[in-house]
Amino acid sequence: MSDNNITEGMLDMFLFESEQMLEQMEEVTLLCEKQNDFDSDSVNEMFRFMHTIKGSSGIMMLNNIMTVSHRLEDIFGYMRENEVENLPVTELIGYIFEGFDFISGELEKIKSGGEADGDETQLVEDLENFYEKLKRIKDGLEEEPEVPEPVESMEAEQPKVKEPATVDGQAPAFELVNIGEGSKFFLIRIQYRKETEMANLKAYSAVFELQNIAIDMRYEPATITEDEGTSATIIEKGFWIAIHTINSEGEVMSLVDHSAGVSHIDILELTPSEFTECMNSADLQVPTLHFDRDVMEGMVQEEEHKEMKADEIEKKPKSKKAAAKGQTPKAKPVGNANAAKNGKPAATGASHQSFISVNVEKMDMLMDLIGELVIAESVVLQNQDLKVPGLDLTNFNQQAAQMTKLTSELQEAIMSIRMMPLTNVFQKMNRVVYDMTKKLDKDIDLEIIGEGTEVDKNIIEHISDPLMHMIRNAADHGIETREEREQAGKPAKGTITLEAKNEGGKVWIIVKDDGKGLSRKGILKKAREKGLIEKGMEKDYTGKDVYSMITLPGFSTNTEVTEFSGRGVGMDVVMRNIQSIGGSLDIDSDEGFGSTMTLKIPLTLAIIDGIILAVGSSNYVVATEDVKEFVGIKKEQLIVEPDGSEFIMLRGECYPVLRLKKYYNLGFGHDDIEEGIVTLLEYEERFIAVFVDELIGEQEIVVKPIPNYIKKVKGLSGCTQLGDGSISLILDTGSLINS
Amino acid sequence: MSEGTTLVNEEVVVEGELNKYMTFLCDGDYYGFGISHVTEITAMQPITEVPETEHFIKGLINLRGKIIPVIDVRARLGKDLAEYNDRTCIIVATVGEEMIGLIVDEIAEVVSLAPKDIVDPPSTDLGSQNNRFLSGIGKVGSQVKLLLDLNNLLYYGYYE
Repeated sequence: MSDNNITEGMLDMFLFESEQMLEQMEEVTLLCEKQNDFDSDSVNEMFRFMHTIKGSSGIMMLNNIMTVSHRLEDIFGYMRENEVENLPVTELIGYIFEGFDFISGELEKIKSGGEADGDETQLVEDLENFYEKLKRIKDGLEEEPEVPEPVESMEAEQPKVKEPATVDGQAPAFELVNIGEGSKFFLIRIQYRKETEMANLKAYSAVFELQNIAIDMRYEPATITEDEGTSATIIEKGFWIAIHTINSEGEVMSLVDHSAGVSHIDILELTPSEFTECMNSADLQVPTLHFDRDVMEGMVQEEEHKEMKADEIEKKPKSKKAAAKGQTPKAKPVGNANAAKNGKPAATGASHQSFISVNVEKMDMLMDLIGELVIAESVVLQNQDLKVPGLDLTNFNQQAAQMTKLTSELQEAIMSIRMMPLTNVFQKMNRVVYDMTKKLDKDIDLEIIGEGTEVDKNIIEHISDPLMHMIRNAADHGIETREEREQAGKPAKGTITLEAKNEGGKVWIIVKDDGKGLSRKGILKKAREKGLIEKGMEKDYTGKDVYSMITLPGFSTNTEVTEFSGRGVGMDVVMRNIQSIGGSLDIDSDEGFGSTMTLKIPLTLAIIDGIILAVGSSNYVVATEDVKEFVGIKKEQLIVEPDGSEFIMLRGECYPVLRLKKYYNLGFGHDDIEEGIVTLLEYEERFIAVFVDELIGEQEIVVKPIPNYIKKVKGLSGCTQLGDGSISLILDTGSLINS
Repeated sequence: MSEGTTLVNEEVVVEGELNKYMTFLCDGDYYGFGISHVTEITAMQPITEVPETEHFIKGLINLRGKIIPVIDVRARLGKDLAEYNDRTCIIVATVGEEMIGLIVDEIAEVVSLAPKDIVDPPSTDLGSQNNRFLSGIGKVGSQVKLLLDLNNLLYYGYYE
């Protein structure tokens, strides 16, 4: 049903935008935390964000999210209008994060197809209490004079000008009874753009908002929830609301102004008697009351009050101000709504890059297509028909070169679309560290370097969890408590450095801490306990190998299990995640001084230059850049150790040999070293000589993952299709060398 | 995707209605599974072997640009391997998010079965080990169609 598609689309959009907003709000909050203050720009931003989330979650009927964001909006709204000295920043931040966590928790539930059924009662209560607290803090001090309501100042300056209002002939049905000290009265007219659909529902959401603060309220047309026809009336004449409240005009405006489709909102402050008149008139309209906009359009002088004709009454200056005020708040939220619709983050004003959000499936399709184009081009250019001797291919070659150039550029452009900076992932770690410092009562600084480094989108999704785990480890097990650090002569504040850089065709992500480092002894002991190594064999394990042991399943040298780690489940899961994107993890440490974890991941899982090798009827591709040379080996050059391992001597250097046939237990392939060829591969300054039957050729290949159904095979990093359509497996030099 | 933990599209059996099953021959017996899982049927084609995999995973095939794994149903069901001939087919099935090819001896017809025509398979203690791969036994006239539980066929004992 097309209805379902629309709702799904709306839901996706809502989830996407809300998540983006939450992320940005978290950033803003952390910034405020660092400066230990909420500056007015930040407060405004937070207010706008919460306002938007409140509105959109309301439309999506997610009441718990709406209520939580409403309370947060109230808090920021209050801070916007009032200077609160001695603001309890940390407490506020605590509540903000609780709110964010609640909302993102609910969003996650929806995302995975569940219900947003979280209970917001306690949180809402806490937020309400905090709001009251804010008020008390503010009232408890010498207060600055409140921003004067235009009404009061204006009334002091100018006499009202008003013609006697005509009232319905009938006796007034409405009487104003609940009038109190802070009572204010407003007449509001909302106008929607002509093409707006379901204006009656949008009008209702405005009513819904105002109900909370209305002492008396009436709106026209009144039957918006029952009668769809009211939609047309609303578009034609506008939606009118008369309200008696103690909230300020600004507050009323902000409550009313949050639906898309609004063209403009006019608001007029009324006297009690004017209010009563409106409430008693047929359609809330009273001839003597006009909105500023209408009057200005009627070419009236703004400066002075003049007696005018009955139907063009000079606006009271207070109303002018009110109207002017009525216009400004509108502009921003609408802008935000538009920005949000386009998938842009609500403009913070700083950067003006425009983005569009694209469905990931479309991107994948594009990637596949360009991959196939590259292969097809290869196939065409290597076609047998062209190999006819005596053919003059000069022109052809020239044009072919041009085409190749274009496909290369196209390929790069498309790959770069999928490349995204690590910024978001890295920034999320700020929050992780913040939580850890609070819960563990440690002092930790997170230094981020090179967050602009770009990686393929696919990879980004798989990096977040491992990174989070590594940073938690660094904070939990690496960095010591303040006392321990001071005793060790270190600064009380620990530092975790998160760095990304391009290195040798890969992206390196380094998590470094200046904590207590890894203990070789401790690790070896644990390994012995778990039976992973035999007693007395410790010497055989050199530096980095020992540290890598912590990635073995069930391994943890922690004696205690903390909330975050220690169960020994983490690092091996991290390893698996990393391997699934074709990456590797390097661990190094300096006991007493800190540890360094280096994550190395391929730039993209995409197109590389490859050399095709064959063993029997099977083809294997290896990255061209890993190949150092090909050699034909004589029996004399082969050295066989007693344990069966083989080496070759080449120009005075000794290289380990790996027979692919033996490695993979293939039933075919040459055994005689002189019948095949040795391919010398290099990876991070280590070498391996791979023995295969023959060298087939060179080709640009599209790296595709081996289907998930097939469990990870050693030494393979993927598969690809060759020019003739056959499938070839891709060798992973790094893991061949490590085995 | 992580190790075989997602998935399970249970057969949607609508009470009182007929459900369609794709059937095929395997070592003389008729097997079948819900037609909603069938993506396509293709003739036998060259298979690229993948080393160090289970015996019933034959390797990879190139399906119009998409690389998918194929398993030999005979092998999976513990039967002797047979030579592939021109009747051997690959049924490309979609289970959850994965597309996997099933090598079968010969394609048979699509049959309709009402829930009442299907009985539970005998328990594994009594019958052969293969019963764990069955979701039920369907009767069409005098013929018996062994209905496969694709999830178990693919993942049981392979992924935990």
